[in-house]
Amino acid sequence: MVIRLSSDVDQRQVEFISLMLQKSVGGMHAEVCDQCGKCSSACPVSKEIEGFNPRQLIARVALGKIDELLADEAIWTCTTCLKCRERCPEEISPYDVILVLRNLAYRAGLNYPGVYDDFINGILERGFISEPQEVRARGGGRLSREALGLPGVNGPKDMAVFRGIVEKIIEAGKGN
Amino acid sequence: MKYALYLGCTIQSDQYGFEASVRETLPKLDVELVDMEDTSCCGFPALSSVSVTGWHYLSARNLAITEKMGLDVLPLCNGCHLSFIETIHALEEDPRLKEIVNRNLEKEGLRYEGTAKVVHLIEVLHDAVGKEGISEKVKKRLEGVKLAAHPGCHAIRPSDLQKVDDAENPQKLDTLIKALGAETFDYPEKIDCCGSQLAVSSGRSTLRIAGEKLQAVQSYGFEGLVTTCPFCFKMYDSRQRAIRGAMRDRSIEVPVFYYTQILGLALGSSPEKLGLQMNQSPVDDIVNKILGDD
Repeated sequence: MVIRLSSDVDQRQVEFISLMLQKSVGGMHAEVCDQCGKCSSACPVSKEIEGFNPRQLIARVALGKIDELLADEAIWTCTTCLKCRERCPEEISPYDVILVLRNLAYRAGLNYPGVYDDFINGILERGFISEPQEVRARGGGRLSREALGLPGVNGPKDMAVFRGIVEKIIEAGKGN
Repeated sequence: MKYALYLGCTIQSDQYGFEASVRETLPKLDVELVDMEDTSCCGFPALSSVSVTGWHYLSARNLAITEKMGLDVLPLCNGCHLSFIETIHALEEDPRLKEIVNRNLEKEGLRYEGTAKVVHLIEVLHDAVGKEGISEKVKKRLEGVKLAAHPGCHAIRPSDLQKVDDAENPQKLDTLIKALGAETFDYPEKIDCCGSQLAVSSGRSTLRIAGEKLQAVQSYGFEGLVTTCPFCFKMYDSRQRAIRGAMRDRSIEVPVFYYTQILGLALGSSPEKLGLQMNQSPVDDIVNKILGDD
């Protein structure tokens, strides 16, 4: 597989990207994907967002246009519905390729939806993305877990150790 | 039947109707639930998109806790369920990743072996309890109520990793709905995505994807939509008002239920114990119809 990347992504990242892509898409190249379009016809996002099309995405990967894809905001619009993976007659999974591209874009310091930082911070602070809310009742008023008799929520016992581990794993190999 | 109950971020933070109705109904069907301590997020989709290793670490960590408890785990959320299944597969395939995970788990006093089984709520109800096991405990049959089944993507796909139900023709949630005396039938959009994961990048598109499905469900004569996924539920129930706006269609009015909420009504539980006061969609008419003269 040919990996072409613009010069602002360093060589270490290029090597890492090649490795991850090879691992996830194996020997995939243009001849393997027949461009039949079953993935795109099943894709809920393709119907709504121009510029997102799993069939074309696979073609671009096969042509080695990785740098272009990594910078494309479209890779962040996949709903992870997995229909493309389910229906591909060649067992190529656009979903898994997208997941790899997202990981790589994040590592290469390219644009990604800011909400992911909130997710990560939540996990590092309390073990979970979100914390218990008081939920609106249809007839008015708000209800807490306690008011509903639901047990308290407890995160990792030793938050400092947990945070250290997860932080290190996320940061490992991230290029800045 | 005894399982470790894994809630995950979304359910424990705001999907109390799901949690309350599960805690209310499963024991009535002789399913014992044991709460877990020391848990964390499963890693999906927060970390799967930015750090695959971090994602598998979090899922393996929760699985290691259930191994310590000596129990199989029931993750209530579709997303957490698939996340655990994917991690089990990834760690089986990649011994080096398993080693990295275990080297870190050791610092938290945990170890992942891969011995705990992951079960889905639909499997517990359909395969373990069974439709007869449910039917015989039904006190109020949901006669004359037409409900659409929406199992949700992560309960049925990908078929190469999980076998909760058929990926292209899922029928188990339908069977469970019928076990309560309600009516259901197949519809073309049944296995379509709710679009909720798109909310992080495009709010309007996510509402349109959900809106098209609600319009379809309504057009077939269904009186309500039933799911077991917290993401799908939030999309169809809590955001229904926003969906109406995005679709410019004020006629969209679909009562949305967690399966365990209608199960609970059929088993004779009160709406409050099932958290039905927190559904934001117009569920009152159906709830009253089921409760009858009580």
